[in-house]
Amino acid sequence: MTATSAPARSAPVTSPPGRSAARLLRLELRHNAMLWMMPVAVALFWVTAGRKTMATPPLWGVRAANMQPTAVLANASPVAGAAAWMGSRESRRRTTDLVNITARPWPARLLATWAATTCWALVAYLACVGVVYGVTAQQATWGGPLWWPAVVAGASLPALTALGFAVGTLVPSRFTAPLVTIAAFFVLALSTQLINGSQSYWQISPVVAAPWDIGPDPGAGTFYAFQPDLPIAQVMFLTGLTAAVLGVLALPTGAGARSPRRSGVAVATAGLLVAGTAVALAGTGRLDAQGMIAIPALHDAASDRPLRYTPVCSHTAIPVCLNPAYASYLPATETALAPTLDQLAGLPGAPARISQAAVTYQQGRDNSVGFGLAGLPISGTPPVFHLLLPVELPGPAVTTSELAAQLRSITGPSIVASVTGDNPGASQAQHAVTTALLMAARVVPSHLPAGGTPTIGNSVAGPPPGAGAGSEQYVGAAPGSPAYAAATRFAARPAAVRRAWLTRHLAALRAGRISLGQLP
Amino acid sequence: MTRGETPSAPYAIEAGKHVHTEGPATARAAAPRMTGPPRAGRRLVRLYATSRRVPAAVAVVAACALGLRLALIGHWDSYGALQLPLVFEAAAAAAITVTVASPLGEPERVTGRWLPYLRLAATLALTAVAAGALAAAGTGAHLAGGTLDVLRNLIGLTGIGLLCAAMINSGLAWIGPAAYLLPGAYALYTQWHHPALTTPWLWPARPPHDLGAAICAGLVFAAGVAAITVRGARDPVDERA
Repeated sequence: MTATSAPARSAPVTSPPGRSAARLLRLELRHNAMLWMMPVAVALFWVTAGRKTMATPPLWGVRAANMQPTAVLANASPVAGAAAWMGSRESRRRTTDLVNITARPWPARLLATWAATTCWALVAYLACVGVVYGVTAQQATWGGPLWWPAVVAGASLPALTALGFAVGTLVPSRFTAPLVTIAAFFVLALSTQLINGSQSYWQISPVVAAPWDIGPDPGAGTFYAFQPDLPIAQVMFLTGLTAAVLGVLALPTGAGARSPRRSGVAVATAGLLVAGTAVALAGTGRLDAQGMIAIPALHDAASDRPLRYTPVCSHTAIPVCLNPAYASYLPATETALAPTLDQLAGLPGAPARISQAAVTYQQGRDNSVGFGLAGLPISGTPPVFHLLLPVELPGPAVTTSELAAQLRSITGPSIVASVTGDNPGASQAQHAVTTALLMAARVVPSHLPAGGTPTIGNSVAGPPPGAGAGSEQYVGAAPGSPAYAAATRFAARPAAVRRAWLTRHLAALRAGRISLGQLP
Repeated sequence: MTRGETPSAPYAIEAGKHVHTEGPATARAAAPRMTGPPRAGRRLVRLYATSRRVPAAVAVVAACALGLRLALIGHWDSYGALQLPLVFEAAAAAAITVTVASPLGEPERVTGRWLPYLRLAATLALTAVAAGALAAAGTGAHLAGGTLDVLRNLIGLTGIGLLCAAMINSGLAWIGPAAYLLPGAYALYTQWHHPALTTPWLWPARPPHDLGAAICAGLVFAAGVAAITVRGARDPVDERA
């Protein structure tokens, strides 16, 4: 068959736009720098985010909130750098003129490269998140995954690739990719310095997963539902930013026909509006009593209600009941408090149950935040002592042995003090009896500063000061004082004698009508 | 290249001679222009520096120093104050690393007699300039770790970049210092958020006078400089560096 005898085609062979776009994307996926950067991103994630996250208690609120900022920081540099590298590819390979004459418009080609870079970044990120969430699911004793922190960190990747890609495309240079890489880290890691209080526009940064002044709230998702107000604003911002940057890429002269440029202007404008709105919303946030950021325009008041759960309780003389999310701490709590509770069980006014409570937060001046127990430590009929576990409090992670030590030396004395009515203004006899009961329980109390809940702030150098887990009422008797001598004497009495005396005189002791001389 | 071919610019540069490549100049090629060795050497250095974008790298280093100086004016909390210099040190190290990429590739490598010396001199000079600029930026301000810290971190980060350039790809060598920045900053963070990372290989987290950290950073730098001097960077054949 010769060329002239071949049948003429009636129409040019064209593939559907979707198929050609998919083919282009597949090609870009196969030749993308992010594919080779994935091991770097995964390694960085594991060295920083994975290690740090896995060192925290297996609570969904803590793990998810810890993972978000570290995942964003771990991925920011490699993702932005790879995107900048891909953005400068045509200039680097001197193929700009070659590809400019192809039928596909410039923005469409760029979009395919950006999409491929983003796809690989998301694959690496999802693999890491999958491992963290999978391990947490096996370790957590209650509750379910908090998805919003993972979504925010995931939404930051398209924004980072768009920014890096845009810079690489518009300013192609051998210095572009490294500088974009380091600038991404600098902006994300150090922009949080500008956060001041809970009403800060800078909270829109994706590295902010919780009120910046206190860090992740362990109670999120355990006592109260996780508030997605700030994550919603952050996702809005990141989506708007991505759209705006991609829209800008279609704007340069010669970027194609007029139609893509108009679309670019529209997309960029819409993106800027969405991002600006999100920033404005973040500025209206406030620290709520549950330790999360509430944004009035996005807030669902129904989510403020406490979560319902069936507590797990110990078999001590006075049962200790914890939120099931903290079930793994029950054995240590039981062991730490049992000697103290044995001294109090059955006494008039002694708590019928020790029940774990949620931490309440209050924004102070500047970056300070007050937190502690809302209301009295002991209340109700029959009386219930409300306990704050040290792991519930913001600050450095607490090991199980540290938790037990703090419960023994801080919470135990507080429980005794709540029964004897001991406080800084109490009588010498109350100080003596409190000390005697602790001596009998072989508890070495930790003398706490009386009054006032400690405050913390991220601006304070070093680790945040430890916060008291309980009412902090215990004063006790100073060694060498008459009260201490009376306490020693009372503690030396047989347990039955002590108990009998306390049963008869505890009400009078609490009322301050017992003097030191009346103690046996 | 055969004897009859017109020499291209790289060959001329590397031979240390000024050779015109067309017309009557070809005849003069046989008799090199009478320029003294110092002048030819200066020209060689200048052309080498230009081809490696050394002036741009110096500008980036100066910008890093200026940025550090401006940043130090602000108030930073402990995290920021400690991590801030490291970010600028990494940027300066990445800029130094970028200059080892050759735009000329294999032809230059084959014929360049002076290349190892030029690579060594350029790398050391840029590192010295960067260390001096960053240290000067911290003068009179509270620069966490001080000058010793700057020097140690900079040479270590530069060494990582040079090793990446020699072993992986000169175009992507910046990945080394940029990737090291994150574990370095994280190690600083763990100093008061335990468990602390105390290995000397994460030298940014070690005190300025820590001998082990200084040795590690120095070893990496020495290895990087040696690799770049002797072997040169791995240059991609199809890309403009």
